[in-house]
Amino acid sequence: MFTYRKRVLAATAAIALAGGLAACGGSDSSSDGKAGGGPTSSATGGTLNYLIFAPIEHVDPQRIYVGRDITNFSRTVYRQLVTFPISTDPKVSNTPVADLATDTGTSSDGGKVWSFTVKDGVKWEDGQPITCEDFKYGASRVFATDVITGGPNYLLSYLDIPTDSKTGLPAYDGPYKGDGQDLFDKAITCDGNTITYNFNKPWPDFPLAIAALHMMDPYRQDKDNGDKSNFQIFSNGPYKLDGAWSKNKGATLVRNDNYDPKTDDPENIRRALPDSIVFNIGQTTETIYDQLIADTGDAQTAVTSQRVPAPYFNQIEGAVADRATLEASPYVDYLVPNFRKMSDPKVREALKVATNAQAWIDAGGGEKAFAPAESIVNPAVVGYQDNPAFSGPQEGDPAAAKKLLEEAGVQMPYPLTFTYPSTETADKQAAALKETWDAAGFDTTLDGLGDTYYDVIQKPTKDSDVIWGGWGSDWPSAITVTPPLFDSRPNLTENSDGQDYGAYKSDAFNKLVDQAANATSLEDQTAALQQADIQLGQDVAYIPLEIAQFYFLHGSKVTNFTTTPASSSFPDLGAIGVES
Amino acid sequence: MLAYVIRRCFVGVIMLIVMSLVTFVLFFASPVDPARYACGKNCSPELREQTRKSLGYDKPVVVQWTNFLKGVVQGRDYPDDPELRAAAPELVTHCPAPCFGYSVVNTKTVNELMKEAFPVSLSISIAALVLWLFFGVLFGVIAAVRRGTLIDRGIVAVSLVLYAFPAFFIGLFLLKFIAIKWQWVEVPVYSPIAEAGVGAWMTSLLLPAVTLAVLYMAGYVRMTRAFVLESMSEDYVRTARAKGLKSGRVLFKHSMRAALTPLVTLVGLDFAGLMGGAIITETVFNYNGLGKLAFDANTTNDLPTIIGLVLLLGTFVIVANIIVDVLYAVIDPRVRVG
Amino acid sequence: MSSYLSVRDLKVHFPTVDGIVKATDGLSFDLEKGRTLGIVGESGSGKSVSSSAILGLHRKTSAQVSGEILLDGTDLLKLSDEQMRRRRGKDVAMIFQDPLSAMHPYYTVGNQIGEAYRVHHNVSKKAARARAIEMLDRVGIPQPDRRVDDYPHQFSGGMRQRAMIAMGLINNPSLLIADEPTTALDVTVQAQILDLLQDLQKEFESAVIIITHDLGVIAEVADEVLVMYAGRAVEVGTCKEILTHPEMPYTWGLLSSVPDVSGDTNARLIPIPGNPPSLLTPPSGCAFHPRCPHRDKVEGDLCVTTLPELAPGTRTETHLKRCHLTNPDAVYEREVLPEIAPDLVEEER
Repeated sequence: MFTYRKRVLAATAAIALAGGLAACGGSDSSSDGKAGGGPTSSATGGTLNYLIFAPIEHVDPQRIYVGRDITNFSRTVYRQLVTFPISTDPKVSNTPVADLATDTGTSSDGGKVWSFTVKDGVKWEDGQPITCEDFKYGASRVFATDVITGGPNYLLSYLDIPTDSKTGLPAYDGPYKGDGQDLFDKAITCDGNTITYNFNKPWPDFPLAIAALHMMDPYRQDKDNGDKSNFQIFSNGPYKLDGAWSKNKGATLVRNDNYDPKTDDPENIRRALPDSIVFNIGQTTETIYDQLIADTGDAQTAVTSQRVPAPYFNQIEGAVADRATLEASPYVDYLVPNFRKMSDPKVREALKVATNAQAWIDAGGGEKAFAPAESIVNPAVVGYQDNPAFSGPQEGDPAAAKKLLEEAGVQMPYPLTFTYPSTETADKQAAALKETWDAAGFDTTLDGLGDTYYDVIQKPTKDSDVIWGGWGSDWPSAITVTPPLFDSRPNLTENSDGQDYGAYKSDAFNKLVDQAANATSLEDQTAALQQADIQLGQDVAYIPLEIAQFYFLHGSKVTNFTTTPASSSFPDLGAIGVES
Repeated sequence: MLAYVIRRCFVGVIMLIVMSLVTFVLFFASPVDPARYACGKNCSPELREQTRKSLGYDKPVVVQWTNFLKGVVQGRDYPDDPELRAAAPELVTHCPAPCFGYSVVNTKTVNELMKEAFPVSLSISIAALVLWLFFGVLFGVIAAVRRGTLIDRGIVAVSLVLYAFPAFFIGLFLLKFIAIKWQWVEVPVYSPIAEAGVGAWMTSLLLPAVTLAVLYMAGYVRMTRAFVLESMSEDYVRTARAKGLKSGRVLFKHSMRAALTPLVTLVGLDFAGLMGGAIITETVFNYNGLGKLAFDANTTNDLPTIIGLVLLLGTFVIVANIIVDVLYAVIDPRVRVG
Repeated sequence: MSSYLSVRDLKVHFPTVDGIVKATDGLSFDLEKGRTLGIVGESGSGKSVSSSAILGLHRKTSAQVSGEILLDGTDLLKLSDEQMRRRRGKDVAMIFQDPLSAMHPYYTVGNQIGEAYRVHHNVSKKAARARAIEMLDRVGIPQPDRRVDDYPHQFSGGMRQRAMIAMGLINNPSLLIADEPTTALDVTVQAQILDLLQDLQKEFESAVIIITHDLGVIAEVADEVLVMYAGRAVEVGTCKEILTHPEMPYTWGLLSSVPDVSGDTNARLIPIPGNPPSLLTPPSGCAFHPRCPHRDKVEGDLCVTTLPELAPGTRTETHLKRCHLTNPDAVYEREVLPEIAPDLVEEER
């Protein structure tokens, strides 16, 4: 009984992680058509239910870091300087459009300075105007890293503020303690309604970053209670909170009278069709799908961010299937060889050749759960291209792999420890990989871990040879994918491998990262990153496994059901309405 | 008796103190780094260090533990950062004594969290207890009285089958069929007695309570049956019959009184365990009781909440034990005098 | 006109998965008011089962009871459950052995005694309590008005037995069955209890059945004696007949294993060899034959093949025995008596 319970808990925890691990990204480029199903209508009114299992950790704009939540709140309560529009076409959806700013910003000094002008007539939910100072204050909160934790922290390394040699952090520590306020006041300046950001290096994709994340959102100083504001929403969008946000139950959003659609671009950003939106948190995935399949009561007007669990696949048939959508997620799951142990490129090559990604997919539920991947970068990311090292079907070729191992002259069977986060499904998938690996001459030990997973694989002393990882871009640029995962300089320290779990260290790669980071134009940056991915492929720094598929069901009275790259392929609240 | 209870309470408090220390040590012995979790994605080593500091996890375990104990006695401020308190006092949360800590994950004091979750768990547990005790003893007695018959075998077989089901299966089954498919009842949402009234409160507890009751009932049927059968062969039951007592009176006054005594211990401990142990049921039905709080605290490495719950649930078990002992003395005169 | 209690061909059979256990198999006896019948036998010989049958304590689900139990002319076995219940504890009462386990540990002595009264008399709890105190006084409990509220475990063994007797006699039963009433008690208390029983019997004019394995008790109180073996009566007679001229080897065995029937200090204790027979598959013929040392004095294999009738022996019509031996007196005097009571034999010579 006890072990059984534990297993159930582990499984639910894994589901929770899948919804919350990585941040915003785009959607599958192959989806040119309308992503969705059900009736189309622009009728307003009614109540939309958004069903979520795991509690949302932060609703404070500077702390939100989950792709689903970023867009949910962008579309409803937190307007941004610029944002991503509602479109299923990734080219459109990945191009920021003006929101609270009059345009998508102007840069100077080779991308090191960015300026935006705040629109006139935009207001907070209490009717007061949104000012340049509010934006500045919002950005300042990111620096209070001891209070405002868990959010995106790119600003710390980009904003032109010196580093405190003692802590290794910026000399400005946020608005609460106020040390170094003068430094911050120089880095971000307000001139009337125009806000100017001064960076210490070029940030050509800055508009992408601030459209994809809420870190630069305005924040009203008089509403700021620091950590106590974590579940507080002070809206400037078409909806506002009715009552308080409850971490375990959610909340109801109702129309915000002080929101003026004329200051917005409703058609492209916030159609705001339902009169109210209920965030219903805590029902299990099974309960959510039991209700959605039965299509009764509130479930008729419900959408969810929970994927259809594999045991329910066969219930999605007939009329129910009309309400189902299958869309690629913005995430990629991959393997990394541990370079400390697999230093021989031939052995890594053999591992790659022997890897049967298709078997992994099949064991995990097939095409409704996963699609093949040909790079660690998701196809929805701007400038994506297949990595030549991983093109074509990856079904594993043990014979060829064996030859490579023999050429490498290593002793066979070559012992191989595969470390991955254990769930019932993952255990099956790992066993599927082991088959071709062992056939190729490896002797695979499966090392499935529980809660301790990330802490173990970050340890430089780990004895893993192959490690599982999953990632999604923070904004649709590969600069938020490959550098954070493979640049050895910020990652590898004495006590931790950071996110470079395989301890990959390549001067050639790092040079390309620097080239991308210092590029003054998006085109140059993209080209360098494409080159960097090719380098990773040549070194077998990773082996892509698959792209998780988002298989969703929604209620029959939901209209305009849409998932977009902007909403990380989750239901896009900017478009969805309900029949009354 | 009073001296005994006081002594037991004293031992209980010492046990709780030891339990809190053990929990601290276990938490920090685990390779899981709570600072990594709180710091989030793309967290640099410097940031992680600072997060650890602001969470108070940078201090030695014993210091953290003594600070915790001090908080229980004196109350504490969160975050415990004099600089911040000086610069922005409104950001600091004061947690008055007895303070069991502050949950960063929930941005609430652990006391508040437990206070919110307690009535939920208490409601479910009481409702379940009433159901399982009533039906468990009823069916157990019927089976014992009709032992060897089809009724007896049927009851024993059904309870065995139910006993084999895991909680989440029964919970999901009830939810899926009773509430969603057949719509006999609404999908339950916990309704506090103060807000919704007694009727709605009881209705809202029906399915979760039935889920738990079914699980526990199975065991109680079998135990009651065994205890009653055992007592029916006792000499004093034969004496009672020889006196010419009606069979009902023999059963209820003489046989059951003895048979149900061991049940008191079980009921006390099961109830205490249920207060924080209905993790699956509370999760399945989305009832934010102590069990779900424990589950969430565990998945989010929320040490203060874990510690608070360990102590609260430990207290339940200790108190339940003392109550059971006192009850025993009330029930059994031999214990009272001896 | 039959006796006050007349038991005819009483059979108590327990069906089990292995077969039928014949705990009592054709028991017959009579008992008059004011008289005391002693039933003796080893454990498992059917004494307690038979007396439980008289009280109707066997559950129909587990036991098959047949025959006749005529009490004052009424066949108790033909009564309904409810009719039987009304008589139980009122007309027929029973005193059990080991009163510590026979009394409920959770209720006061007074409560349990009073309950026996209240179930047959429509009186208040207070009246029942007064009656209980009266009875406790009658059986010799000191300070009965205080001890009435004690729990059984607060009484000494002898006091508990007295309390049991008080409970048994509270309704003036015309038939009292005492099942090993003195087994757990030391010798002086034993004598007191037996005296008490006899006094009370005289007072209430009851018929009494005393069940025991102890012939010493029989010698003290019984008017008539019934020896049981393997569910059957093997010897019946007056106390004197049985104790002075036993005719059945099993009775001899019982006598040999009792220390001081005659106060003879030279008496030797000779236990009966072997174990009591299985009631599921009893031995053929005479059930005692596997343990009987005198089998060779019977011609052929009669003991093994034929169950002897319970028939008058060599002395009187009322002294019955179930044995093939034709000269029991001679065997007893020549072989048994010298062994168990050499002094007595000397004296007679």
